[in-house]
Amino acid sequence: MQSMKISTVLQWTLFLFLTLSLNGCGDDTPTASENTPRNTSGDTADFVFVAAVPPNTLDPQKMSWNHDIRTAGCLFEPLLRYKLPQMTLEPAAAESWTVSEDQLTYTFQIRSEARWSNGDPLTAQDFITAWQRAMLPDFVADYVQLMFCIRGAEDFFNWRNEQLANFKPSDSAADAWREAQVQFKKMVGLRAPSAHTLVVELARPTPYFLELCAFATFMPNHTPSLKKHISFDTTSGLLKLPASYWTDPSMLVTNGPYALKRYRFKRDLLMEQNPHWWNKASMGNRSILQKIIEMPQTALLTYQNKEADWLPDIPSSLSLAADLVASGRSDVHTAPWAGTYFYTFNCKPRLADGSVNPMADPRVRRALSMGIDRKTLVQKITRMNQPQAKSFIPPNMIPGYESPKDAGVSFDPIAAKKLLAEAGYTDPTKLKGLSILFNTGGGHEPTAQTIKAMWKKHLGVSVYLQSMEVHAFRQQLKQQNYTIARASWIGDYRDPSTFLDKYHSNNGNNDSRWVNPSYDRLLAKAQQQTNPALRMKTLAEAEALLLQEQPIAPIYHYLTLHIFDANRVTGLHPNAWNFRRLEQVQVK
Amino acid sequence: MLRFFFWRLAQLPLILGIIFCVTFTLAWWIPGNPLENPDRSVPPQIEQAILKQYNLHSPWAFARSYLGQVLGHGDFGPSLQYRDQTVNQIIRQGLPVSVLVGSGALVVALVVGLTVGMISALRPGSWLDLSSLALAVVGVSLPTFVTASVLMVVFAGTLQWFPVQGWGSWRHIILPAVTLGAMPGAYIARLIRLGLVEVMASDFIRTARAKGLSRRRTLVKHAMKVAFLPVLSFLGPAAAATLTGSFVVEKVFNIPGIGEHFVQAVRNKDQFLILGVVLVFSTLLVLLNLAVDLAYAWVDPRIELAG
Repeated sequence: MQSMKISTVLQWTLFLFLTLSLNGCGDDTPTASENTPRNTSGDTADFVFVAAVPPNTLDPQKMSWNHDIRTAGCLFEPLLRYKLPQMTLEPAAAESWTVSEDQLTYTFQIRSEARWSNGDPLTAQDFITAWQRAMLPDFVADYVQLMFCIRGAEDFFNWRNEQLANFKPSDSAADAWREAQVQFKKMVGLRAPSAHTLVVELARPTPYFLELCAFATFMPNHTPSLKKHISFDTTSGLLKLPASYWTDPSMLVTNGPYALKRYRFKRDLLMEQNPHWWNKASMGNRSILQKIIEMPQTALLTYQNKEADWLPDIPSSLSLAADLVASGRSDVHTAPWAGTYFYTFNCKPRLADGSVNPMADPRVRRALSMGIDRKTLVQKITRMNQPQAKSFIPPNMIPGYESPKDAGVSFDPIAAKKLLAEAGYTDPTKLKGLSILFNTGGGHEPTAQTIKAMWKKHLGVSVYLQSMEVHAFRQQLKQQNYTIARASWIGDYRDPSTFLDKYHSNNGNNDSRWVNPSYDRLLAKAQQQTNPALRMKTLAEAEALLLQEQPIAPIYHYLTLHIFDANRVTGLHPNAWNFRRLEQVQVK
Repeated sequence: MLRFFFWRLAQLPLILGIIFCVTFTLAWWIPGNPLENPDRSVPPQIEQAILKQYNLHSPWAFARSYLGQVLGHGDFGPSLQYRDQTVNQIIRQGLPVSVLVGSGALVVALVVGLTVGMISALRPGSWLDLSSLALAVVGVSLPTFVTASVLMVVFAGTLQWFPVQGWGSWRHIILPAVTLGAMPGAYIARLIRLGLVEVMASDFIRTARAKGLSRRRTLVKHAMKVAFLPVLSFLGPAAAATLTGSFVVEKVFNIPGIGEHFVQAVRNKDQFLILGVVLVFSTLLVLLNLAVDLAYAWVDPRIELAG
C-alpha cells in the first residue's frame, strides 16, 4: 500500500514535467472478485476504455476513422466478421455464402435468427438499403470507392449525381427519388430474391470482396427507421437524415452485440447488450463504456486510478509512448500495424516554380533513401523500435503475399554517393532547393530534423525544413507544391491493392505523381487474374517496380500501443488490422 | 437611460452582421477541405458531392443557406467534424458547462482580487502589499496550463480532494474555476490596489479623513466605489471570455465545454461550428459590455449615458 502511494505521488510530480514515472503500477493484481460486475447505471460498465476523440460519426457508411469503426463493430454486425486471434473470416449476420465460378456473383444466406435491437428480423433488404446509401451522392463519404466493385454502383452514383445537378427547386424531390430507385434496381447488381437471401453481382472479380463485407461501409441499416427519418431537401433534392439520428438512442436501431444506451458529446458513450442479438451466449461482457479523454496524460491517470481497463489510442509518435515502452511495464503492449511511415518525393519533371526537378531522376530518389539511417532513427529518435521499412507493404500482413526482398533500399551512404555521381551530382552541394515538408502537431519534426542531418552528414546534401498545419499541408501535397514530404499510409483491407493502388498514375492519392505505365499495366493484369497465387505474384512485381524507382522512401512500419493488464482483461487480441471483437472481452 | 439601453440593443444585429461577414470570409479561406480525411483523397466528383451535402461547394450557396437557416429557424447547422451533432446541440450541451466553470472563476477572481487588492492598498509598501504584489505578478504571468497542472498534481493527485478529470459534480468545478480565475483575480487585485492608492490621496478622501472617518471606513465606503470603476470595465470582456470557456482548462481537466471549439473548430475548418460559437460569443460580449455600461452609471452617477 505504502509503495503504491509513493509511486502515485511520484507519478503526479513527474506528470507536471510531462514525463511520467513509469514504475510500480503495471503489476498490481486486481483484488475484486470475478463475479462483481461493475454497476452499469452510473459512470461505469463491464468494460471501460478511453477513446482519445469523440466519434466523428456513428454512421457506418460515412466512417473512415479507426475509432469510429471500432464503435461500429459493437453496434452493427456485417455479413462476416474476423475470428480472433486467428484473423480468419467467419459467418456473422450471414450464416453461409456461395461464390459463382466466375467469381462475379456472391449469394449470402442471412441468418433467420438475426434480429435488430427492436426485435425486427434482419433482412437482405437492410443490406441493400445501407449499400445503396453508401453509393448515393446524398450520403456519399470517403469510402464510396470500395462499393464500386459492385456491378453498376459507379454508374448509379454518376447517374444520381447528374440527376441532382439538374434538379430545380420547382421539381419534386420525392419524384426524383422514386425515379432513382427504379434506376438503382435496373443498374446495380444487388438483389434480395427472398427476405434472407442477398445476391451481389460484381463488376469485376474482387478477390478481397469477402474482406470488404466485414468492413464498416458494408454494415446494414435498419430500413424501417431510415424510411421514417429520411426527408428531402426541397431546394437541392438531396435526401437528408437528422444529424442526431446516429447518436440518439431513441432513434438508432442496431443489429450488433450492443445497442446504444447513451451518448454524451465529449464525455462518454455507453453501449449495452442488444437483447435480441442472436449470439448473446458468446459475449464476455454486457456493457461497454467509452470515456472520451483527449489528453493522453489525463487518460493515463484515469487508467492508473483504475477507472478504465484499456487505453488503445495513445499515439505512438508521442514521447510519452516511447517512455511507456521503455519502462518495461507488463501492461504496455505494442502490436505491428498495417501502415508505413515514409517520405514521398515529388516525381514531376518540373517543380511548381517551373524549375527542373532533380527528383524526377530515380537515382536521386534512391540515393536520398539510402542516406536514411533507419536503425538510428527508430532507436534514438522515435525510440519505439518500429520495424525498419524496406518495402511499402509491411511484412507478414497479408496472407499469401510477400513483398519483394531485394528491390528495396537500405542505409548505404557509399552506394548513395555513387548514385548521386551517376545522376550528375559529383558535387552533392549542387543538389539544391530541396526541403522536407511536414505537418505540425503529429510529432514529425524530430524525424525530419534527423533525416536532414543524416543527408548532410552522409551525402553532403543540404535540405531545409518546412512545416505547416495539416489541411494546408494536404493542399500542398495534392498540388505537388513540394519536393520531399512526410507521408503515411494505413491499409484498409487485407489485400496488397489497398497499398499498391495508391501509386497508380490515375489515383488521387498518388501525391508523388509518379507515373509508370508498366506499374499500371501490372495492376491491371492482377485485376484480371483469378488465380490467387499468380495474382499475388503480379502484385509483388508491381511493388518491386515501385521500390526500384523509389517515388517514396519507406522509413518504418507503424506500431500501435495498447495499455491493459493482460491478467485482468482478456479477448482484446491487438492486431495489425485493428480487427476487434469487443463483445468477447472479459474483465476479471 | 432606457433610450440608451434600447439603442444599444438595436445595434446588436448590425454588430453581429459585421462579425458574421468577417468570420465567414476568414472561415471560408482557411485552406483545406473540412470533410476530407487528411490521409485519404477521393476523386473530384465524389469530393464535390460530399461538399454539396453541406452546401459547401460555393461560398454563395453556403452563405445563403446558412443565413436562411439561422434567421429562419435559429439553426446553426451541422458540425462538419462531429457529423452526428448539430452546432445547436454542441452549444446547448457545452455552454452551460462553460458558464458554470466561468461563473466559478469570476467569483474566485472577484473574491481573491478584491481582498488582496484592498489589503495591499491599506498599507502600501508594507510586506503585505509586496507579497500580494508578488503573488499577483505570478498569477498574471503563469500560463493556465502550468496553473492547471500544479493544481491537478497537488489537489487531485497528492491530496486527492478533487477528481482528476471529467464532469458531473460540484467537485469537478473547483480546480478549473480556480485555474481560470487566477489570472483575472491577480489583475483585479492590481487594478484595485492602484485605484485605491490613487483615490486615497485625493481631496475628497482627505476631507472625509479630516472629518474623522477611519482609514478603513473611507477606503471601503468611499474610495472603493471609485477604484472599482476600472475593474468594472475589465469585467465585461473578462466575463465574456471566462463564461465561454477556455481551451487549455477544458483540455487539461477534460471538461465538455465550448471553449475548446474556438480553437479546434478553426483547426478542423468546421465552418458551421466556427460561425456558431463566434456568434454566440459576440452576442454575450455585446450584452455584457452593455451591462457594464449600465453598472457604470449606477455606481458613478456622474456618468451620463447618452443615446
